[in-house]
Amino acid sequence: MAYFILKRLVQSVFVMIAVAFLAFSLFRFVGDPITQMTGVETAIEDQERLREELGLNDPFVVQFYRFTGDMLQGDFGYSYRTRQSVGEMIASRIPATLELGTVALLISLIVGIPTGVYTALRPRGFATQSILLTTLVGVSIPTFVIGIMLIFLFGVQLGWLPTFGRGGTVQIGGWESSLFTIDGWRALLLPAITLGVYQLTLTMRLVRAEMMEVLRSDYIRFGMARGVPMRSLYFRHALSNTMVPVITIIGLQFGGVIAFSIVTESVFQWPGMGLLFLESIRFVDIPVMGVYLVVIAFFFVLVNLIVDLLYVAIDPRLRIKDES
Amino acid sequence: MSIQTFKRSALVGTALLVSAAGASAESFKWASNTDPQTMDPHAVNSAPVLSFLNNIYEGLVRRNQGMAIEGSLAESWEPLDGEDGWRFYLRQGVTFQDGSAFNAEDVMFSYQRASSEAADVRSWFAPVKEVRVVDDYTVDFVTNAPNPLFPDSIANFMILDKGWAEANGAELPARDAENFATMNVNGTGPFTLASRDPGVKTVLVPNANWWGDVEHNVTEATFTPIGNAATGLAALLSGEIDFIQPIPLQDVAQVESRDGFKVLEGEETRVIMFGFGHEHEELLYSTDVTGTNPFQDVRVRMAAAHAIDIASIDRVLFRGKIDGASQLVPAGISGYSEANSTRPAYDPEKAKSLLAEAGYPNGFSFGLKCPNDRYINDEALCRAAASMFAAVGLNAELSTGPVRDYWPQLRADEFDMYLLGWSPGTFDMEHPIRFLMSTPNSEKKLGSWNFGGYSNARVDELLPGIQREVDPAARQAMVDEVVAITQEEVAYIPLYTQPLIWAAKDNVDLTQRADNFFMLRWVTVN
Repeated sequence: MAYFILKRLVQSVFVMIAVAFLAFSLFRFVGDPITQMTGVETAIEDQERLREELGLNDPFVVQFYRFTGDMLQGDFGYSYRTRQSVGEMIASRIPATLELGTVALLISLIVGIPTGVYTALRPRGFATQSILLTTLVGVSIPTFVIGIMLIFLFGVQLGWLPTFGRGGTVQIGGWESSLFTIDGWRALLLPAITLGVYQLTLTMRLVRAEMMEVLRSDYIRFGMARGVPMRSLYFRHALSNTMVPVITIIGLQFGGVIAFSIVTESVFQWPGMGLLFLESIRFVDIPVMGVYLVVIAFFFVLVNLIVDLLYVAIDPRLRIKDES
Repeated sequence: MSIQTFKRSALVGTALLVSAAGASAESFKWASNTDPQTMDPHAVNSAPVLSFLNNIYEGLVRRNQGMAIEGSLAESWEPLDGEDGWRFYLRQGVTFQDGSAFNAEDVMFSYQRASSEAADVRSWFAPVKEVRVVDDYTVDFVTNAPNPLFPDSIANFMILDKGWAEANGAELPARDAENFATMNVNGTGPFTLASRDPGVKTVLVPNANWWGDVEHNVTEATFTPIGNAATGLAALLSGEIDFIQPIPLQDVAQVESRDGFKVLEGEETRVIMFGFGHEHEELLYSTDVTGTNPFQDVRVRMAAAHAIDIASIDRVLFRGKIDGASQLVPAGISGYSEANSTRPAYDPEKAKSLLAEAGYPNGFSFGLKCPNDRYINDEALCRAAASMFAAVGLNAELSTGPVRDYWPQLRADEFDMYLLGWSPGTFDMEHPIRFLMSTPNSEKKLGSWNFGGYSNARVDELLPGIQREVDPAARQAMVDEVVAITQEEVAYIPLYTQPLIWAAKDNVDLTQRADNFFMLRWVTVN
């Protein structure tokens, strides 16, 4: 087990370095940070001096070496745009994104798993057909359109929910949370639904497909023949076997939810990491973009590791293999 | 939380919100598309920063609702006797927001800070030779030459408290790292900072000790940057914010059609224009012309000018909200040349015959560069212009991109023709002459945005005179000559003045200034 984790950790470090390298080489094509940092009246030589001070004239390898070296020492540098420390900026935005992602994922699970099971058990029912059709429409519409539709319906027309921001937040030991105020939940609802819709469809269809597969297998049939109660067959035997691949996907989904919250955060002006990243692109804020990409890579790596460990916990066969 | 309790708490939440809104009617919320990058008034010379900080900091002079200069921390000013420059008489009894007194030392300190290498606003002080503190409330700015425009050019030069800056290690503006002044303020202005969360929310409260007459009734003002235009509009229409600047042109009808909202329309001081690669020896992006640059022929440039149909652009792209421009500043700006206020008429036949005369009866192809996120409808405008050019035989290969890529391309001379918008920082014609019409000269800091390298000896010769001349009539005569020359030579094709479109709730009274600055001290919430 320890060997397994160690192996994964070593792999992860390589993944992170590769991401940092890729991200950093892409920044050369994003545009010129200096013209975004200075006003129109700034003399060319002042711009040039700033470029020199920031080390933008150095060869690519030198810049990359400096970037990774500083990162490894825990120095994330300063934002070109706000002049704040990038580490603090990202850290202050992480709670918003994590809470949004978690709630979105919960929505997709709480709704997705039961409907998946239901549609697997009654594959030809009218309700099943309408659910499948509705969710198909749901995935076909781009996230930002869903977001804007929700905003105009619940925010502008009905006036029930706020259209932007996080609402009331509470500080809990450095973690700024919107989960403990009514205002915060009201603000969270629309973006979480927007972000969760796509995942919901995915979860539901996956659960349905897996469940139907399992229901066709021999041990369920024999169980039926032996007169095991249907309820126990469905939920105790079939569902738990369905969950192994589902957990993989959910794990990856969580990484995806965090990474792709950019669109949702932009539509709802949700002050998370995605919005920060988007603003950073606009201003060619290279230090923030670099750290963001590395942090996101770290999330993916971490989530994958947790998924692997969960496998071992859920599936006894893997445990036996590992012990032998 | 069960569904029922959730519903109940949501209802309670709504009720609370409604009653809270009723109790503090003067709290004011506004949004814009860009967050000010810093709270330091000398670190970045950009409109979002200067506009925002004009509510907190003040300069010696300021602009009123009609953009004219009036006294602020200086009560009056006069030309120096016997040498070039200006003497400013400071207002007495003014205190900074932390309670310390304002005097000439603070002006001197702020000058040194704002003209230092670390400051992005140092170009304002390029003509300044020396600054002298005469007494506690008199300061002399000595300039290299007579400089009638100097007071106008420092309207956004904001004064910091010397003691505060020194105590907090903010003697110099921080451009590549944070310092105390990046997140904290101490100005003399009508508002002060209550909280700052960059990119998320910034709250201002009135400065109880402000020296001026309070015209607003705002008790707390919250600013939220909203980058996505649809989100901003929704925030206004749902009542969560009171005011937003700007809104997209296509949303005007939607705001106007709703009760309780209004649209404020005006003209920005920004003129949109096409520029040419005057000094390019050959076209870079042509498929049929090699070894030569037809745009070096004035007849070709004139043909391009005659090919543009501003009336159609106005009707189709701008819903009748733009005015054609004849020169690089709009009417009303000081130095505007009344004598040269006609723009080339839309005349495709004339354009074709000019092209034929120049030796291109069948036209030619060239590259047109445009930004797609800088000016209102910039990409659509270029598409429209490209088809108008094509109608006379000028086949534009259009390429567009975000502005962060665009300026470096223009600086690298990668264009045959390009789009540019210019707003004169000093609100005077001298500004575009210096930046866009003078022969580029980095030593004298001239022509730094003259990408095409337009050059005319007479224009270069007239500029110092325009900068120095104190007599308005003599000065205008020189400006008129420059405008006449650049029109005749078609140095640029001025297109139109960019519209300025803000939206607000009906119960909010505010002033739309032509520089797109938003001043909280002119806001009343009814």
